[in-house]
Amino acid sequence: MSGAALERVFREASGRIVGALAARFRDLTLAEDAFSESCARALEDWSVEEVPADPVAWLYHVAARTALDALRRRHTHQRYESQLSAEFDMQPTPEDDDTVIPDERLRLIFICCHPAVSVDARAALTLRLVCGLPTLEIARAFLVSETTMAQRLTRAKVKIADAGIPFELPAVQFWPERLDSVLSTIEIAYAKAHEEAAASGPYAHFAAEMLELTRTLVQLMPGEAEPAALAATVRYAEARRPARVDDEGVMIPLSEQDPGRWQRSLIGEANQFLNRAVEIDPNPARVIQAQIHAAWSSRRSLEDPPPWPRVLALYDALLFRRDDPIVRLNRLVAVSEVHGAEAALTQLDSIDQELLRNFAPYYAVRADLLRRAGCGEAALKAYDEALATISSQAERKWLTRQKRLVQAPGSRCVPASSGHEEA
Amino acid sequence: MQYALLIYEDESIFGPGKSGPKLQQVVGRHIEFVKELGAKRVGGSGLKAASLATTVRTTRGKQTTHDGPFAETKEQLGGFYLIEAPDLDAAIAIAKKVPLLEDGAIEVRPVLGPG
Repeated sequence: MSGAALERVFREASGRIVGALAARFRDLTLAEDAFSESCARALEDWSVEEVPADPVAWLYHVAARTALDALRRRHTHQRYESQLSAEFDMQPTPEDDDTVIPDERLRLIFICCHPAVSVDARAALTLRLVCGLPTLEIARAFLVSETTMAQRLTRAKVKIADAGIPFELPAVQFWPERLDSVLSTIEIAYAKAHEEAAASGPYAHFAAEMLELTRTLVQLMPGEAEPAALAATVRYAEARRPARVDDEGVMIPLSEQDPGRWQRSLIGEANQFLNRAVEIDPNPARVIQAQIHAAWSSRRSLEDPPPWPRVLALYDALLFRRDDPIVRLNRLVAVSEVHGAEAALTQLDSIDQELLRNFAPYYAVRADLLRRAGCGEAALKAYDEALATISSQAERKWLTRQKRLVQAPGSRCVPASSGHEEA
Repeated sequence: MQYALLIYEDESIFGPGKSGPKLQQVVGRHIEFVKELGAKRVGGSGLKAASLATTVRTTRGKQTTHDGPFAETKEQLGGFYLIEAPDLDAAIAIAKKVPLLEDGAIEVRPVLGPG
């Protein structure tokens, strides 16, 4: 087996094996270390001997033995150190059947995404333990050094162990908050992969992991609508990747992307996930978000009119369920297309500006609305603010191009809300 | 009257994984202090590291759970409960029921135990 093929086996086995060991021994670090040890052993053994028929079962067996040995050593050590051996009750589970790997990935995901673990660490820990990504790759995606990322992961594991985060699936009363935490973690991880419009960005290669992870989640929670909706959303977004930047590396907004360049097979998969979600429950916010993507994805060519009225209706429905500044802002883009930039500008002022101060798209939307409403001076200022906040190269290039379209400053500016600077 | 004595110190000296003569000395002094207090000591305990804290924040009636200790804003420490709970989820569930006048935060911190 080639090095790359071996790495693939290790990655795919990670969630299954670490999950099963963590559930059995109630110790994430022990589970992860034992799995690493079994991978190291495999690298040695499989280069001289034949690769076993079931490599994953082999890895699990070796990892489970390693974990048991480590526990025995720890036990003996503790017995020696304290003289409480009689009371010390840390028996490894008697079941010694290491051939059947129980599927405990769902438990592992819920542990990694516990709301008491820091937001950044949740996504990183999920990528590390469930998807088996090396720390270095995760560090690159989060733009931190490998050491910093390793520390962040260690800190999260210490928190899980020492603050008493349970290894059970959440009880009914905790389910909504915990499920939401899992889904938002995956959204954050995917946003990292999606942020960079060009496919060559440092995050792009784990977009594939997100497709796989969301598929797994749907398999593990077949009765829940939101995981299926998220699996759909991730696919719709990924399908558009080839159309998101032009040859000069400039971002192309959704309404101007050539639908002929969208990946139809991914859209087909997304539609299936969305249908499934709607059948289970058409109401949750994530289902409506996926429907917004679906509305766009139904466009076959640039000749088809953009589905703005449908998109606006869906944003109205979404706002009813999740009234936050970001949903309001996205809705305003649709408002401006259906009812005009002036109407959208008037509503923009009703959004809590405080919450949007560091949110780059706010300035971009505002600049665009001001430009279209003919408020040249205010538009230029807003473009500069947008450019000062946005780091993505493709988006910066697009904003710079849009800024050049601004009519002479001081030209007509109708709406009263067009920025207090001019009043 | 009863009084709560809340101890604030530099965690880089007494925090998790720390040991050494300085820490041992202060532990010894705490043991002495407890003896000296006798019946005047109603209760008390060391806490695990601030990094193991979880904060349940209520903002405009909405409760959210965060990693980390209470970050000082306009609220002040107004009281505490010492509770028994099988795990962090159970502790958070109880923390969410703590009555608050308006907005506020409950920091959930594991207590240093024998285990």
